[in-house]
Amino acid sequence: MNKEAVHRQHHIDLLPGETAPTVLVPGDPGRVALFAEMMDDAKKIAQKREYVTYTGTKDGVPISCTSSGIGPSPTAIGVEELIRVGAKNIIRMGTCGSLQPHMKAGDIIIATAAVRGERCTEEFISIDYPAIADYRIVRASIDACERLGLAYHLGIVRTHDAFYLESPWAFGDYKTRLQKWVDLGVLAVENESATMFVIASMQGVRAGTILLSSDPIFGESENDPKLEEHKRDLVRVGIETAKVLHEMGMDKE
Amino acid sequence: MEKQHHIQLVPGDTGETVFLPGDVSRAKVIAEHFDSYDKVASNRQYNTFTGMYKGVKVSTTSTGIGGAAAAIAMEELIKVGAKNLIRIGTGGMMQTWLPRPGILVITGAVRGDGTTREYFPPEFPAVADFFVVENMLKSAQELGIEVHTGYEWSHDAFYAGSVFSNLDILEIEKPWIDAGVLIASQEASTIFTIATARKVRGGVILCSAGCHQYPDKMATPEEMVTAISNATKIGLETAVKLHEMDHGR
Repeated sequence: MNKEAVHRQHHIDLLPGETAPTVLVPGDPGRVALFAEMMDDAKKIAQKREYVTYTGTKDGVPISCTSSGIGPSPTAIGVEELIRVGAKNIIRMGTCGSLQPHMKAGDIIIATAAVRGERCTEEFISIDYPAIADYRIVRASIDACERLGLAYHLGIVRTHDAFYLESPWAFGDYKTRLQKWVDLGVLAVENESATMFVIASMQGVRAGTILLSSDPIFGESENDPKLEEHKRDLVRVGIETAKVLHEMGMDKE
Repeated sequence: MEKQHHIQLVPGDTGETVFLPGDVSRAKVIAEHFDSYDKVASNRQYNTFTGMYKGVKVSTTSTGIGGAAAAIAMEELIKVGAKNLIRIGTGGMMQTWLPRPGILVITGAVRGDGTTREYFPPEFPAVADFFVVENMLKSAQELGIEVHTGYEWSHDAFYAGSVFSNLDILEIEKPWIDAGVLIASQEASTIFTIATARKVRGGVILCSAGCHQYPDKMATPEEMVTAISNATKIGLETAVKLHEMDHGR
């Protein structure tokens, strides 16, 4: 049997050493190409199912980007396999629906923790266990936004499974169902952060999340005319966060 | 405003930062680290001292043991104007690699308690305020005190491993030990979730004499006095830093 095949991870199709210590994780496989375009150099390392990986450097700092696909199930697989090939800082870089009435499309959110509204990680550990972003990644994300002159919100997000459950077609009024999270100060809803935080912290690696509000659920505008520009901002923040972590010495252990 | 029912305080009686020991007698031990202090109230297990440290008004209120009692202190202290609620407590460590005694800055908590279940859906995270964590770590570094960061398993029954449960404490703790949770104690989940929901800052720093795996290798009472004193110093420097963050120098 080919020895390499034994160690190549089943879904992400990567070998140990094929990623940088810091891996940015968008949900959308298409956004990995945007990452590659914004790096000084980046090569496609693997592409299988919804997992596309590029590794490269920016200003001398090695950084990878692997897409997770949508939702907790593929995210759990991706994170697990990324840890096995040596990732130390796993940072989600995705879009979300913002919840607080003062938030607007294009806003950047740095998550400090996530509501475990998904069920995937309940297969790993009791719901009592918290989904928390690593404080060093939170700090690096804050510094990245400040260096780039971009405003951000800092706080808790809610991860859940069913994207369209909170749509007008699902049972009941979704805004009524979301209201308790608004009241608790939760900033946004999305599908992957809690999964990533629980799995990473159980295995002693760092995880964090940077989000772009593409849909202010309780805000005024439903559409962001500058969405493409804002997605570029999101990736810039991700890349800058990786650079800050490098400066902090957080990509060595 | 009338005096709060349990803590017997009115607005103005405390500083924005209030330290929360579980032990009733430790409130005074903490206050002795201030530059000056006065006792402002004493009712049930809630003893409050307020004073000054480096020009910042600070307080300490003992909560008694457990989430139920800590939640009452949190709610009433927030009503009288507390903004930074920082528990300084003790617990039993669950990881054998930690030093004995150990000082731990708690970043999050397993919600194994009953109080927060009455308040919040179970999926709501018990997370320490980011700025409290960061300023505690900065303060520890400046003071040259070794600290470790990680999660607390917050639970209700101190004697969970008693004869009535027919389980060894290490069996009960196994899922949390395996997940890397650092310490067992009782109040962090309550402090973190109520602080988050009430939009104030919650933090926890714990001292521990030893870990549950090695009950015969505990730090001495003298070493624990030093550890609690060091945790208090970290808490006080954190209060000064938070004051500068909110109000400038």
